[in-house]
Amino acid sequence: MFNERIMKRFTNPKYAGGLRGANGTGRSGDSECGDLIKIYILVNDENVITEAKFKAYGGVCTIVACDIACGLIEGRSLEAALRTNYYQILEEMGQVPENREYTATLAEEAIKNAIDDFYKKKEKDLKGKK
Amino acid sequence: MSKKVYLDYASTTYVSSEVLNEMLPCFNAVYGNSNSLHSYGREASSLVDRARDRIKNAIGAEKSNEIYFTSGGTEANNWAIKGIAHAYSEKGKHIIVSKIEHKSLLDACASLEEEGFEVSYLPVDKHGLVNMGELIHLIRKDTILVSIMAVNNEIGTIQNIKAIAKICHDYNVLFHTDASQAIGAIKINVKDMEIDAMTMTAHKIYGPKGVGALYLKDGIRIENLIYGGSQERGKRGGTVNVPSVVGFGRAVESANRDIMINQQKVRNVREYFLKNVNERIPYVTVNGHPIQKVNGILNLCFEMVDKESLLMLLDIEGVAVSAGSACTSNSTLQSHVLKAIGISDEFANSSIRFSFGKNTTKADLDFAIDALVKSVERLRSISALTKAGRK
Repeated sequence: MFNERIMKRFTNPKYAGGLRGANGTGRSGDSECGDLIKIYILVNDENVITEAKFKAYGGVCTIVACDIACGLIEGRSLEAALRTNYYQILEEMGQVPENREYTATLAEEAIKNAIDDFYKKKEKDLKGKK
Repeated sequence: MSKKVYLDYASTTYVSSEVLNEMLPCFNAVYGNSNSLHSYGREASSLVDRARDRIKNAIGAEKSNEIYFTSGGTEANNWAIKGIAHAYSEKGKHIIVSKIEHKSLLDACASLEEEGFEVSYLPVDKHGLVNMGELIHLIRKDTILVSIMAVNNEIGTIQNIKAIAKICHDYNVLFHTDASQAIGAIKINVKDMEIDAMTMTAHKIYGPKGVGALYLKDGIRIENLIYGGSQERGKRGGTVNVPSVVGFGRAVESANRDIMINQQKVRNVREYFLKNVNERIPYVTVNGHPIQKVNGILNLCFEMVDKESLLMLLDIEGVAVSAGSACTSNSTLQSHVLKAIGISDEFANSSIRFSFGKNTTKADLDFAIDALVKSVERLRSISALTKAGRK
């Protein structure tokens, strides 16, 4: 049902788990619909994502899409990370059952939400400092 | 080879050696066409007759010719619903089925709806039992058939078949039941239970795949299923699959003979499994009826864990289980059964079915429970759902 690349990544996800000190968290999906994703990012002063992690309630492809998404944004600037789209995620997943392609869009959405959350928090901090 | 444990007996069982031993000579020794007039044919035909007799006796039917062999439960369900509906369409075009029937039956109903029949879907309570008051309420003058499965394949709930059949007959409506999961698990007597038509299959009771039967009470009309042969009283043409039919006959007879001992074994296995799961894994709930259910099926919800991910991790660990019905588990669709008993989509999406066999050992269960603990812990450690607010 799933290709070798997906199964390998599913059994050994590199970026699974929480992230202490994360300054951006992005959510997507809904547990009632079968998938809930949270992507955590740690962004440094140069606006570079130094670390990315995820937590997911979902099937094999959901977990793999999140893991790939974190790999694509870690070490990259926010600007570059924002350009990550579901095509890139799907490409890394290889052959994906058609009814699971949406998992890549969920991961993309979570990245965008995490970056959005980072900026919102930053604005709050800046306001607080004034 | 690393250890593997199979806990998906409700999907299918292996073929027992006693069944296999009866089947084997039919491949190359008694190989005649059971419809042929010569000695080869008569020999095969006598084996087919014997299989029919065995099934007749096991289910308490009056005559052997009330048993029609089919390619399995799906065919028998399709035939029963559509064949009876077409044969009685002059009386009316209304059918009642429960919301938790097998897909083969629900899809057959959908095709009848396209033809202009009307189908009412009877709701079930949180345990999966149909509401008999609601059934009476739904029966109309033009109702021709009610079909309620004897045992649900996903949660194992046993319906009050005798009472349901009685209601149907009080209102002059025919009653069909899908007993695919019931044979060998509960005592079935079609005469005593007043069943008019009943679906059976071999591969859930240590028989071969691809063979089943429809019991149809003498006198009840049904439209022919396959034209082009006199087999099955001309209603389902085609050369009889003698080895499978012979295996099926033996499987039903053995299942009936050993029902008490096998059920005790499977009950012990299920209780041991559930006790250990409850002791070692928090946030687990049982779906279905607490008592009125078959021993071999256990549907559990592991909160905060996705069923597909759990199923795949268990498979990697060597444990085979199922996410509900094997006929729908390849899709991402939610279980219509769990939905019908009122389970939230999230909980349904976290539920998997364990089903046990007569030879499942405690060592198998210990192995499976260890794998389950490991897999659930792993998925929960990365789950986006949290324990906050959960009891």
